[in-house]
Amino acid sequence: MGWYMVYYREMFLMRKKIGNLGYVFSTLLYPLLYLFAFSWGFGPTAGIPGGYVPFLSKGMLGIAVMLNSFQQTAISVSVGRFYFRSFQTLLVSPLTPFDITLGATLAGVSRGVMAGGLIYLVAFGAFAAPPPSLPGIAGIIISAACFGAFGFTVGLWADNQDALSMIINFIITPMTFFCGSFFPIERLPSWLQGVAGWLPLSLSNKLLRADDWTGEAASCLLILSGTAALLFYISVRKVNSYSE
Amino acid sequence: MNVLELAGISKAYGGKTVLDQVGFHVRQGEILGLLGPNGAGKTTLLKAVSGLTKCDRGTIKAFGLDFQDNKRQILKNTGIVPQENNLEREATVKEALLLYAKLFGVRRAKQEVGKLLERFALTEWQDVLVRHLSGGLARKTLIVRALLPDPPLLLLDEPSVGLDPDVRRGIWRLILELKEAGKTIVLTTHYMEEADFLCDRIALLKSGKLIFLDTPGRLKQKSGGATLEDAFIHLTGTGVL
Repeated sequence: MGWYMVYYREMFLMRKKIGNLGYVFSTLLYPLLYLFAFSWGFGPTAGIPGGYVPFLSKGMLGIAVMLNSFQQTAISVSVGRFYFRSFQTLLVSPLTPFDITLGATLAGVSRGVMAGGLIYLVAFGAFAAPPPSLPGIAGIIISAACFGAFGFTVGLWADNQDALSMIINFIITPMTFFCGSFFPIERLPSWLQGVAGWLPLSLSNKLLRADDWTGEAASCLLILSGTAALLFYISVRKVNSYSE
Repeated sequence: MNVLELAGISKAYGGKTVLDQVGFHVRQGEILGLLGPNGAGKTTLLKAVSGLTKCDRGTIKAFGLDFQDNKRQILKNTGIVPQENNLEREATVKEALLLYAKLFGVRRAKQEVGKLLERFALTEWQDVLVRHLSGGLARKTLIVRALLPDPPLLLLDEPSVGLDPDVRRGIWRLILELKEAGKTIVLTTHYMEEADFLCDRIALLKSGKLIFLDTPGRLKQKSGGATLEDAFIHLTGTGVL
């Protein structure tokens, strides 16, 4: 149960920061802004089968899960490690690298799922967006795990704010725009479709929009699960080999 | 009985050696002071013993157990007070201590935290946010935090750095109380007066090498200096900037 102590600590600190609007809304604000601006601006003319609002609301749900699972975990670990050095408290505790990684990753999952839930509630309230299907719910959870583990790995790797910004600028932001959150991937140039289609946010978006367990949905879940497991394994190795 | 045994510890960063074949042991119940000029390797050595830095060579044993193979068990019995205040800034004193107690699996954590807060006269500060603590109170809280699992070995990295003389004396009294309670303590310091007052033995490092290991009295005797500061300057050759 060592992992639970890490999870509890992360969630406790998050609860303490909830009053801090800059912290809470930094990763919620963009999906919300996109949701309203694009729904109003492009909704009537987007030409998406089934309507643009249902399409976009699920895309924003995916983005919210990604941003909150990844960014909040990466910031918590990296800032705790090189500014406040509070992360070192975990490293000098009797907890195993597996416990530390699992607790921190699950805290990332919780952050992502909570943020995703909030975005969906807003989309439902404002635009009567349809609820996520079962594959969609599975997609939310497994992509939160994938991005939580990625955030943990990056948090351990990044030695300063610039390194963290580099990952956000060159990996997270391009995924935000090219992984089918705002428009179908099929509208991208064919060479870019081949790359973008395999990225975790694209797989998550496909699951979010799947009505049932089709072969494609199952494949997406399998690939996302494998990616999450690989990133988790890398994180455990990084904690194990940690040295200042 | 030796609580801590170091043999041949070496560490280099980017080709620059910061610890070079350092070895010594620390007996149960003693206070060993790690002294040396800036960059001598004191903090790196303490980080190696606490598992934050991996050595390139050498072995560390604590409580007769090899560190590599028994890291978790050793850390469970080691209280670490870092140089900086790394308490969770968003938490109150009591909350920060409870979080730590949970990480270390302390049983009846609330009672234990309450007892230590009372013993170290921190009860009136228990609901104050950590980020609002003065330097002295933060140091005291860090020491109390390290004591929560009741560890037999304590590693203190510059326990009184940046504190005014009165608070520093308070920290000294606290450290002596811990020694009297049977704790084994390894501390680093830049204050010669502190080392002279607290330490049973001194390990003097210079450029990553152990150049002296004995009592403060012997150190003064060896250098012919009247004070530990004279001896320190004589042996480490840091009289000029």
